[in-house]
Amino acid sequence: METNENNDHDEATSAHAGETSPATGSTSGHDGARASSNSDEGELYGVLAEFDSPGALVKAARKVKDAGYGDFDCYSPFPVHGIDEAMGIKRTILPVLVFCGGITGTFLGFLLQWYCNASAWQWNVAGKPVWSIPANVPIGFETTILLSVFTTFFGMWILNKLPQVWHPFFRLDRFTKVTDDGFMLGIEAKDGRFDAVETKKLLESAGAIAVEECYLDASPANTKMPMFIYGVIICTTALALVPFALVYKARASHSKDPHYHIFGDMDFQAKVKSDQYNDLFADGRSNRGEISGTIPRGWLNDDTSYAQGLENGAWITSFPTSVEVSRDLLRRGKQRYEIYCSPCHGVDGRGAGMVAVRSQKIGQGILPRNLVDPGAGVITQPNGQLFNTISNGNNTMMGYGAQIPVADRWAIVAYVRALERSQFAAGTDLTDAERSAAMGATP
Amino acid sequence: MSAAHEASLHPDEKYKAGKMGQKVVTGGLVGFVVLTALSWLLSGSAAGHTADGTGHSRFFYGYLIGWTFILSIALGALLYVLIHHLVKAKWSTSTRRVAEILAGTFPIIAIGGLVIIIPLLAGRDDIYWWANKGFDHAEHVSASKHTWLSPAFFAVRYVIYFAAWIGLARYFTVRSRKQDETGDLALSKQMQFFSAPAVIIFALTICYAAFDFLMTLAPQWWSTIYGVNYFGGAMIAGYASIALLSMILQRTGRLQRSITTEHYHDLGKMVFAFTFFWAYTAFSQFMLIWYANVAEETVFYNYRMFGEGWKWVSIVLTFGQWLIPFVLLMSRWSKRILPLFAVFCVWQLCFHWLDLYWNVMPNYHWGAEAHGAAHLVTGPLTGPVGENNVNFSPVDITTWFALIALFIAGIGRGLKGNLIPVKDPNLGASVAHENY
Ligand code: HEC
Repeated sequence: METNENNDHDEATSAHAGETSPATGSTSGHDGARASSNSDEGELYGVLAEFDSPGALVKAARKVKDAGYGDFDCYSPFPVHGIDEAMGIKRTILPVLVFCGGITGTFLGFLLQWYCNASAWQWNVAGKPVWSIPANVPIGFETTILLSVFTTFFGMWILNKLPQVWHPFFRLDRFTKVTDDGFMLGIEAKDGRFDAVETKKLLESAGAIAVEECYLDASPANTKMPMFIYGVIICTTALALVPFALVYKARASHSKDPHYHIFGDMDFQAKVKSDQYNDLFADGRSNRGEISGTIPRGWLNDDTSYAQGLENGAWITSFPTSVEVSRDLLRRGKQRYEIYCSPCHGVDGRGAGMVAVRSQKIGQGILPRNLVDPGAGVITQPNGQLFNTISNGNNTMMGYGAQIPVADRWAIVAYVRALERSQFAAGTDLTDAERSAAMGATP
Repeated sequence: MSAAHEASLHPDEKYKAGKMGQKVVTGGLVGFVVLTALSWLLSGSAAGHTADGTGHSRFFYGYLIGWTFILSIALGALLYVLIHHLVKAKWSTSTRRVAEILAGTFPIIAIGGLVIIIPLLAGRDDIYWWANKGFDHAEHVSASKHTWLSPAFFAVRYVIYFAAWIGLARYFTVRSRKQDETGDLALSKQMQFFSAPAVIIFALTICYAAFDFLMTLAPQWWSTIYGVNYFGGAMIAGYASIALLSMILQRTGRLQRSITTEHYHDLGKMVFAFTFFWAYTAFSQFMLIWYANVAEETVFYNYRMFGEGWKWVSIVLTFGQWLIPFVLLMSRWSKRILPLFAVFCVWQLCFHWLDLYWNVMPNYHWGAEAHGAAHLVTGPLTGPVGENNVNFSPVDITTWFALIALFIAGIGRGLKGNLIPVKDPNLGASVAHENY
């Protein structure tokens, strides 16, 4: 390895001795390729060395790094594998940034949907819940991708200090080769180890086929950003504000013109909605209802004791097998009863609910039945009949089948049974402990 | 020319399989026979389905899961080979022979599949409800499905699929092995040329096979992306298996220098990519069905999301097959630290099996006596959702292992000659491959 490098170096220096030998003074480093005179040269920016192959560039980069330089960079027409490692560039933190960007995207996507759909503007779309994770996944996915891509793209620009419209090395004609077949390494003068003589020697010994000094422009006017760039920035910014201005105008003013329809076939879809008039059918309705003789999947109530409270045409007296009477069921029944029944029948079932009290006051209506009084007859009714009253109503009481699901109806039945029982509780219903506690409480 | 390519391998590199193949074949076959017999005994003495989840049907269900599992690995490996030639890949040359060996298992998988096909042809309905008399009278199934789902036609398609896969695998393996001897570049050209139509044949057959072997378990239900989802799982399994088999071969002292961390890193990227692809297709299927909310379609998820136990399997699958490996495989170190990567490969294979289990098993209960004779007429996914329990059985695992043993026997058949395409013109580039 060592010997190889030395050979390269010998060849390089001997072959290009003519170019590199004058490079000793501080201002006479040009090989004559540039036509400019020295008078417009300012401060020394750095030195640029050219190598004849990517491999040589990698080797030189390693050598420069090992010599302790930090402010140097490599330039090549295409990405050179291994150059990062040779230059001692740390692994980029871009992946970590992208990861954070992606997570932020997910979070913001969900937040946006939550705010729009579930918070600020709750809108019923086909009976879907306003907030539901599956519906939000596609947007969350898109925003994740969007912010990941933005972070990748802009992160790459920022980490690479882009956009860089100009570079001092542009002043050297040799540097144009870097977009074609030149492999260059430049060391900046601001590096602590930089030394006009030693640094060039180092590059030569690293196998450079040419080493050149690069000076900044002497005239401060030439280092300023050209005015037209400011013009471009101002114009594009102004143009970018136009859409916002239009939106603002549309929101703040009134207009009799019809809307713009950007997606006509989305705004006017070739479909009928369920409540529309439709002359295709004799009855003029678009909604065709259920097809006679069919049952939607899951609507088949083949268990009559559960769905109707009937078994072989008779009311069932117990509960259907699929209903398990438990404390939970009673608790549910209590809650449902108090929501659906207590306004009329009263929380205790004696018929003194708000509605009943009011109707008595104004002398109208028929009193609700007392559910817990043996004389009123509900106590002796079979469970199936009570279930049927809840589902379909009785005399002047309306049915609640449309509001209350079957399982909840059975819970109410169980609770009404408990209410009835509670009117005739005997001391023996309590455990010994409960009884003594109750006795103690009421001396 | 060829001498130059061989020179890309280190002179000390061991790349000959030697005689290890025979032992692997014998071991695999013995394992298969023993484990299959054990599973059959474990599944109890009752024929058909029983309420407690035993019965010979249980054996057949477990067998179907294990069989579609090993089939997916072989399919994944086959596509690895096809893609390699299609895009003229370089990095994947080193591990291509390993993939060819895995794709060479189709003949033995075809024989293993007879356990499913022969009872079907004999009129048994242990797996597929449509082989049941009830199906003929099921009016809510369209007439064209009655034509498609007859045991004889099913068997014909079985033959077509395996003819295609065995044919494709042979086409590429034979030429690849021949190049080992001749170093003929024309063989590479031939393979590149044929890889394009081969990918089309592959795509169609894997889709239809997934429809036939898995989706028809519930013939009233359908999803057009189903085959693509199976393909996603197959690719995870394929890449994970290529990595694992390479690691195992390296443990025997072979291929030390020609398969490197760089190759595992790239295989890991593919496992990662297809992990997401699988989740993407799985969610696509779910999302459309969930949103449209049409009872004929939602029934599939109804059983898997609200069935006692199945909802937990669904959650475990979401985290296990997607979220956890997706987040962890994102790091380059989980792919480059090889013991860790091996864990992820095994992990993903296990969850791929669970994915198939989740697809297949909820259909099991249709014949179980607990739900009465009625279900013999109405088929799977028609009983009460709440009663559709997971009913996990040890048979599910033993049948899976039995088929893995069969698959190992199939691998053993390929462990001969060179374990690397020694005269492939891209081998040098592949060995020197590096990720930056
Ligand atoms: C709007 C007031 C109202 C509500 C709410 C209401 N009921 Fe009634 N209910 C009545 C009236 C009024 C009657 C008497 C009907 C009659 O005899 O004409 C009645 C009668 C009954 C009867 C006796 C039926 C029979 O066979 O004689 C039962 C049982 C009953 N209700 C149960 C319930 C239950 C349980 C609920 C809750 C789900 C409920 N009701 C909710 C007003 C109401």
